[in-house]
Amino acid sequence: MLITNPQDYLSQIWPDLPTEVLADLGAVFHKHTAKRKTVLTTEGEVEKYLYLVLEGVQRAYAIGADGKEATLVFTYAPSFSGVADSFLLQRPSRYWFETLTPSVFFRASFVDFDAILQKHPLLERKLRIALSETLEGVLVRQIELQSFTAEQRFRTLMARSPHLLQLVPHKYIANYLGMDATNFSKLLGQIRI
Amino acid sequence: MNANLLLDQYYQQTEVILDKAVKEWQNLALEKLLAAPQLGAWSAAQCMAHLNAYGNYYLPAIEKAIEKAQAEGSKANKEFRSGWLGAYFTKLMLPDSKTKMKSPANAIPPAILDPAETLAQFIDQQERMLKLIEKARGVSLKVRIPISILPWLRLKLGDTFGFYTAHHRRHVLQAERAMGRA
Repeated sequence: MLITNPQDYLSQIWPDLPTEVLADLGAVFHKHTAKRKTVLTTEGEVEKYLYLVLEGVQRAYAIGADGKEATLVFTYAPSFSGVADSFLLQRPSRYWFETLTPSVFFRASFVDFDAILQKHPLLERKLRIALSETLEGVLVRQIELQSFTAEQRFRTLMARSPHLLQLVPHKYIANYLGMDATNFSKLLGQIRI
Repeated sequence: MNANLLLDQYYQQTEVILDKAVKEWQNLALEKLLAAPQLGAWSAAQCMAHLNAYGNYYLPAIEKAIEKAQAEGSKANKEFRSGWLGAYFTKLMLPDSKTKMKSPANAIPPAILDPAETLAQFIDQQERMLKLIEKARGVSLKVRIPISILPWLRLKLGDTFGFYTAHHRRHVLQAERAMGRA
């Protein structure tokens, strides 16, 4: 289904939202497009927007003291995106958020989004559940990072999101998995056609 | 020609190349990247290594020129006019140009190379190029860049983009033929 407005998008994520809530919430989201490799949020900046991804792949990444990048998460449709903790807490972000491919979003500012949450307490509940799922995902990834071998991490990602291989340069996937390019290339060789 | 439209065109051409590299080439079996279509012809990986050699020279040179222009308060011009030499070089490089060229010695790719690493570097360079094209929107495209083979000869930034992307399109076509994808 081709989604052309925020209400339709949100109704797919939350099918049981009352029409009136959906209309209010949808009204604060506006379309935004960004070219490939556009930095949308920098470290130290307070995240201004909550994003809904329509097209493209994005990533959040930290830059270490040694200048090395650590890819924390990829986002793609259908999903929320942006620096969620900085947005919700309105505190400076500890990491960067950028597009990896040409991207299209709906996005809402904090002031607008917050006002709708206060108007509709039901949304607070929806948000709590969504955040719980996000937290679960973060903790599962923590397990993968600490107790999986590189090969297990690779195989897990390939089972979960094999389409990433055709969407973003492999260096970002290798970086997300905490592997060097050579190792990644070797593992990929085992599943390449 | 309108400078922004010109940059749009170079951006789009680079984006097309990068998109193919990401969607297709990086997922091919490495043997495909190494296959030579006939004896003595370049493999796809060699075509990319050849382009990488140009990128290694031009990307830092372009970046330096843009930063220098920014520091000197250069402003974007609405219109860009090619220099006669810039137009000539670009035409010479275009994929449909009939002129056969011999690559300068330092740009002849090695016979043995790591295809995955070569392609990764190629992808990196296209990403950098897109950023440079965007960055160039803020400065005059008339600032000059020394060309790699004759450093005393300096092309306008707008012509450097033109000649660089034309040269890329030419060898990307060659690479696609070598991979059996053109």
